[in-house]
Parts: sequence; structure tokens; C-alpha cells
Amino acid sequence: MSSLRTRLLVALLGAVLLAGVVASAATYYSARAEIGALLDEEMRQVALSLRDHAVLDVSRLAPGNGDPSQRVVVQIRDPRGVAVYLSNAATPLPLARTPGFATITHEGRQWRMFTARSGPQTIQVAQSTAVRTELAAAAALRLLVPILAVLPLLAFLVWLILDRGLTPLARVARAVSARSSSSLDPLPAERLPGEVRPLVDALNGLLGRLGDAFALQRRFAADAAHELRTPLTALALQIQLAERAQTDADRAASLAKLKEGVKRATRLVQQLLAMARLEPEAAETPLAPVALDALAQSVAAELTPVAAAKPVALAVDRAEPSTVTGNEEALRLLLTNLVDNALRYTPAGGRVEVRAFRRGAEAVLEVADDGRGIPAAERARVFDRFYRVAGTDVPGSGLGLAIVKQVADLHRARVELTDGLDGRGLTARVLLPAA
Amino acid sequence: MRLLLVEDDPMVGESIRDGLGQEGYTVDWVRDGKGAETALGAEPYAAVLLDLGLPRMDGLDVLRAARAQRNDVPILVITARDAVADRIKGLDAGADDYLVKPFDLDELAARVRALVRRAEGRAEPVVRHGPIALDPATRAVTLRGHPVELSGREFALLQALLARPGAVLSRAQLEERLYGWDEEVGSNAVEVHIHNLRRKLGADTIRNVRGVGYTIPAQ
Repeated sequence: MSSLRTRLLVALLGAVLLAGVVASAATYYSARAEIGALLDEEMRQVALSLRDHAVLDVSRLAPGNGDPSQRVVVQIRDPRGVAVYLSNAATPLPLARTPGFATITHEGRQWRMFTARSGPQTIQVAQSTAVRTELAAAAALRLLVPILAVLPLLAFLVWLILDRGLTPLARVARAVSARSSSSLDPLPAERLPGEVRPLVDALNGLLGRLGDAFALQRRFAADAAHELRTPLTALALQIQLAERAQTDADRAASLAKLKEGVKRATRLVQQLLAMARLEPEAAETPLAPVALDALAQSVAAELTPVAAAKPVALAVDRAEPSTVTGNEEALRLLLTNLVDNALRYTPAGGRVEVRAFRRGAEAVLEVADDGRGIPAAERARVFDRFYRVAGTDVPGSGLGLAIVKQVADLHRARVELTDGLDGRGLTARVLLPAA
Repeated sequence: MRLLLVEDDPMVGESIRDGLGQEGYTVDWVRDGKGAETALGAEPYAAVLLDLGLPRMDGLDVLRAARAQRNDVPILVITARDAVADRIKGLDAGADDYLVKPFDLDELAARVRALVRRAEGRAEPVVRHGPIALDPATRAVTLRGHPVELSGREFALLQALLARPGAVLSRAQLEERLYGWDEEVGSNAVEVHIHNLRRKLGADTIRNVRGVGYTIPAQ
């Protein structure tokens, strides 16, 4: 049963019914005991009055009348057990062994019997126990019937009350279903009962976070499209130049530039994809221990050919055991970007040093170079997407450090930029919580 | 004809410079807003190609500053900002035309020709002067209907003189219009080109105003 209202209605009516049945049962048992005591006393009185006033004067005893099932049966026997008087001669009850009260079964019916001695005679007064049961059941039924009778009315009232009580929920449901997929405004939270308020607050929190995420996505897509225009323009122009080329040498030169342009556009797309994958919502890889020292050596080895082509001296000059809990692919991307940046902005003959070590509770990754560095005033801005330092003639997308920042955020790490080797260049330092 | 290109992206800048160079233009290329401002104040350009997203000084500011200084050089904005609001902003800031990246090189050249033509006060694409007709689009020159073979410099020199018939241009002014920053100009280069033009088009086509410069007399 999925409707809250139906479920509550059934539960409430069930509870009322159960209470009624229990009350009736209790009434039945207590009434049965009371009626038992009352009728026992009555039988005793009848027996005693027979002994005191009507002894032997059997002729005065008229055959019983009234409802035969309720009738009190009287039997008087002489000392030999021969019946002197039987009020119901058709089915004489047997003699009790002892005087006083007894419950016997005779011909399939239960009887309550009182036996008294009157000189030589024995007086028996008996009554079917069904009388008592019926009386008690009637009392119980008198209690149960009104409850059953008002049950439909109760159901109707409960239905109305639930309807009113659940109105705020229905209102919230309508508000949610009425909005389009693009509307992320918070739901109205005023005049809501305390039970619904947390739900709406939680929904509004979720809507807010979704809105932020959507805005970020939209801005990212717009930025990406804008940034892709420039390399695409370069490609379009270079294709035209290649088409116009008069000599093979010109054509070859144009095609070489075209290739360079494709490489650049490809790199931009790859970086955009990397950023999209690093969105917190998209990060699916479980976190695992990552050894930063091994990572530093691996990344340096990978980029050694790039460094050698320039040439720039690339070295891991400090690799001490330091482990963090993180996403290895993302951390590799972070370090590759930092080293790649250092190599790009360090002129031939320069140095790039990679370090991994532990300092207190933090694991540290450092990439230091003696290149041109970044002016102190620009160091905060270079983490913005697509931001490029003015006067930069090294081709780049302006995404490298933004990716570094994103990976760092994913690992709750800090990134610092300070001066590099020999007071020149740049040192990029990533401080991660050590595992 | 000398153009100023303001573009911070190396690949795009290089392609435009090479492409327009093939069209016979001399292209000076600066990569940021400050450089553009300096160049605009120093040299006479036939037209300016201006990117908007520039380091150090935004292209729109360059545009406004140039117009504020009553520099009426034709300015063509080339940018990735394609929203209608951006185009309106660019044109209202003083741009003569607006071209959104990515664009076609031929279209860019055609727009430059149109801008120059309008700046010279002509509606007809082909420049005619007496028996001479010069087509900037095909870079063809005819004398009384017969094609005349001109070198790139000779063509540019003739085009500069035909832009305002009757006006006298000094040797320095002609050099400024013909040569970019990075080009070495021989001491008598202009004289050599003038001599060749007279030989191909007739001795009295270009007149020498002693001590002042050269002119193609108005008719």
C-alpha cells in the first residue's frame, strides 16, 4: 500500500477495532464472573427457601415455566435416591456427591448445580451454564456494536483529518512536479509543519547545489566553445594558406603549421575532457593509497624525452616515502601538468627539479624551475580557467593550472606558488594530507 | 598597403599575416593592447585588424582610445565574441566592421578592401584614373585596357598615389605606407619603384614635386 493516507487510515481503524474487541473481551469475562456469582446466590436462595418452607410439600411445587433454557431445575430426592420431585422429568440430573456448588456435564450440556440436605431429603437446584454465557456475551456485544456502528463515521473523519494534515505534503509535491527541469528556484518553505520542513529544506539544498553545478557546467561549456574558436580559426586559416601555396616548399611549411595547429586543438580538447572528468560528480574512481615518490619518478621518466628535446635538465632530486589517499590517475595528471608547465616555460639550458617528501602531517609534491616564473601579482589568477599571463608567447590553453587546482581540491590539498631555483623561476608546491 | 594586426594568438596572427602578405599587404603585427595603442599613434595604417580579448589592454579600450584621439583609421574587429550584444558593443565603440572567428581568409581580405575603399571615399571597387584602372581584388592594373605587369611594391606604390589623386606624398610617407617595421628600406628604393612605374605607365603619369614628393595629378 503506497498511499500514506490509506496506510494511516487502515492502521488507525484497525487500532480502534482492536481496542473495541479487547474491551469487549474484558467485559465478557468480568460480566461472566459477576453473573456467575449472582446466579449462584440465586440458586442457593431457592434451595434454602425450599428446605425451610416447602419441605416435603412437594405438591406445591408447580412445574417450571418461562424459557426452558433459562429455567432453574429443581429436584428433590429421598435418602435412597428416588426422585420425589423433578421439575423437568424428561431429563433428570444425576445426584451430586457432596453438598454445595458443582459444575457437571449432563447429556452434552453444562450445568451449574447447588445441592443441600434437608433432613433425609436432598434438594438440588441447577441451571444450564449457557444462561451465564449468553448474558455475558450480550453485555460484551452491547459494548462492541456501537463501536462497529461508528466505524464508518470514524473512517470518514479520519480520512478528512488526514487529508487536511497531508495538505502541506501535497502542496510540496505539486510545487515540485509543476517546475520545469530548468527551474531550480527553491521551493516555498513557509507555513510548513515541522515534519515536512526538513524534507523541503533538504530539497532546496539539493536544488541549490544542482543549480551551482549547472551554472558551472554552462559556464564551462561556454568557455570551452569560446576557447576552441581560436585554434579552429588558426586551422581554417592554415588550410587556406596551404591551398594557396604556389611551391612545394610553401605547401610543406603550411602543412607543418597545420599539423601543429591540430596538435594544439587536440591538446585543448584533451584538457577540457580531463577537466570534465574531474568534476566531483563525475569522479567514480575509488580512492586508494598513492606513493608520491614513485609517482614523481614515473612522471619524470615519462617527460624526460620532452625535456631532452629542449634541452632542459629534468631531475627528481628528492624522493622520500610519502603516501596519500587519492585518485592516482588524477594525481598523475596534476604532476604531469606541473612538470609540463615547468618545461614549457623554462628556456633551453634550464633546470626543472621534482620533489616528493613528507613534512609533518602533509605529503608534499614540488616542481621547481629556473625559468621565467610568474609575477607575484599574477600568481593567484593563473589558476583561473583559460587565464594566461600577458606577454606569453609559449602556446598553451590556459587550462593546465586550472586542472592542477581541480585535482588539488578533489584531494583537499593546497597549492602554493613561490619563487623557483636560485631566486628565479617558479616553485609549485602541492600539500596533501598524508595517509 | 600597410595594415596593423592586433592578435595575441601566435598561430592565428601568423596565418593572417602570411595570408594578407600574399594579398600584397604589408602587415605589422602586435600581440597586446598596449602595443596596438603605441603603433596606432606612430604609423599611418590603411586599416587595423583588431582582436578583442587581448592581454594588457582590452581591444574595446584600444578602439575607444583611438577614436577618442580622432584617429579615423578603418578598424575591423576580429574576435571570438560572437554574441549580438558584443557585436553591437564593438560597432558602437567605433569599429567599422566586425568579423567573428573562425573566418575565411578570402572574406577577411575582401572586407579589408571594402574598408579601404570606403575610407578613400569610393563606391566602385576598381580605381580608375584616366587611362589607368587598378583592381585591388585581383591586383590587376590595365593601361587603356591592356594588362600591365607590376611587382608587389610597384602595385602598392601606385595604389597609395591613386588613393588621393592630386595629393603630394613625400618619400618618407610613401615608405611608411609600403614597408613594415621589420623591413629594410634601401635609400633609393622608392625612386627605383617610381622609375619603373613611369616606364610601364608613361613618363608623365607620376609627377615629381621638387623638394616635396610625388603625386598623380587630379584630372
